[in-house]
Amino acid sequence: MKKAVKIGKVLILVSGFLIVAFPFFWCLMLSFKSNAEIMSIPTTFFPSEWILNGYKKVLTEAPFLKWLWNSIFSSVTTTAIVALTSCLGGYIFGKFKFRGKNLLFICVLATMMVPFQVTMIPTYLICSKLHILNSMSALIIPYMVSGFGIFLCRQFVENIPNEVIEAARIDGAGEWRIFFGIVIQSIRPAIAALCIFIFMGRWNDYLWPLVALIDEEKMTLPLALNFFNSSLLTDYCTSMSASVLVMIPIIAIYFLFQKQFVEGITMTGIK
Amino acid sequence: MKKERRKKGTGRSQRNFIICGLTPIMILFFVFSVIPIIYSVVMSLFNYNGFPHPPFVGIKNYVMLFHDSEFLGALKNTVFFVVIAVVLNICIATFLAVLVKSLKKTKLRGFFRGWFFLPAVVPMVAVCYVWLIMFDPANGIINQVLMLLGMGSPVNWLNDTRTALMCIVVVTLWCDLGYNLVIIMAGLDSIPATFLEAAQIDGANSVYRFFKITLPLMARNMMFVGIMTSISYFQVFAQVQIMTQGGPDNGTNVIGLNIYNYAFRYSQMGYASAMAVVMLGIILVISLVQLKLGKTDWEY
Repeated sequence: MKKAVKIGKVLILVSGFLIVAFPFFWCLMLSFKSNAEIMSIPTTFFPSEWILNGYKKVLTEAPFLKWLWNSIFSSVTTTAIVALTSCLGGYIFGKFKFRGKNLLFICVLATMMVPFQVTMIPTYLICSKLHILNSMSALIIPYMVSGFGIFLCRQFVENIPNEVIEAARIDGAGEWRIFFGIVIQSIRPAIAALCIFIFMGRWNDYLWPLVALIDEEKMTLPLALNFFNSSLLTDYCTSMSASVLVMIPIIAIYFLFQKQFVEGITMTGIK
Repeated sequence: MKKERRKKGTGRSQRNFIICGLTPIMILFFVFSVIPIIYSVVMSLFNYNGFPHPPFVGIKNYVMLFHDSEFLGALKNTVFFVVIAVVLNICIATFLAVLVKSLKKTKLRGFFRGWFFLPAVVPMVAVCYVWLIMFDPANGIINQVLMLLGMGSPVNWLNDTRTALMCIVVVTLWCDLGYNLVIIMAGLDSIPATFLEAAQIDGANSVYRFFKITLPLMARNMMFVGIMTSISYFQVFAQVQIMTQGGPDNGTNVIGLNIYNYAFRYSQMGYASAMAVVMLGIILVISLVQLKLGKTDWEY
């Protein structure tokens, strides 16, 4: 009986492992097959001939490196700015008293639950008024402040003892010095978790770039996949090669920072 | 006297710090988070099609919405999708979390947790295109394997009203299950081991321990996970837009896609805003339910 349970457990976990693995594996296999082989029935498991045409097409017939750069630049910049504004906002809401503070903070909390589709149309119109649509700024500026980030940082700032900040003040440290020297240093784990979330959100974002960008050369990687699927109809091989190339950077980052990813989710319990 | 002056001085520098630090943050926050919500509500009262001076139509957009079979269908599909996907997500994630947690080796536990989370980190768009090929009725691997196992005729997964929405659920769960798995595992870790040990000594088997101790203690956690997942699933977009475009016969049309189509393809932004406000209302109700049910009067 006990043995049967144990075997069942192993079977379920192994099949879970395979179910997660298969689409990745299949994507990789298809990216090396010719279109004719992909369409053939019955399909082959491994490519009968490993070809690199898809990868060649992605890298030569489309501005793929430009898209990669757009993704890197917009995600990294946004993440860095959000980390700064969240810490600063979290610190001010957590450790200072001023008129209207509670009302402002309730605003911050209230916007956290609002779905993107609700703010999407006005944000589009505001960006259009600011003349930043169809540019890198459109990907960065609307995302520079995160209600969730301010909330998260405030939770952690509150754990810093007031005495530490007071002592620094008595020693003559300026407010900005206290912020950069003490506050940021003490909430580093929260900042790391926040950065991972923001980065992942920006890197994988699809809907906003789809709305805000028009020119091919301004696109980010998730949109690039649309390009390969609409302009080169049924070119499965190229589409899968592009998918592989799009997935590799974020998977690499994930394996490097896996511990922080998992701790970050545990810490915040939110998506 | 001297002391007082210094106090005033620090008070001023603190005030400057608050003003310098908070003003830019709050300006950005209001322009891109608060004003859009109000703007959306206001716009839903106008017949805004992208031209200046749109006519004010009051609640006419909302009245139209509730006679619009496309929107009502999208609402129905979204609710159906959310209910099925959330329930399946939490059941499977909990089941897997308990299984993974029962592994003896810490390394193996960490490995499975990390592995199940992997699909959540890659762009969903890329994943959708892979699944799109796998679901292909003629040369997709899923049909070919099923036919090999004895299925009579190929199923047109994404083009059949009976299966299309379930395919979206499957892809969503594949992508997204890892999040809840990690959160639920953390919840399981926070249950004091003494409770379970005590029950074990009393002779309770593992199924009994799970349903009578673990699950009640996890109730608040589960509630939170369920609400957060529902809110995020209400916004389902990429899977549908890429894999079915809302078809067949609007069978997978969801609110998120409907709003996008009306706002940016048919440029009826006023009407689309009314849909967005309805969506906001639904999510507000779910959040309030959470606040109400999330209040428990016990601790451990």
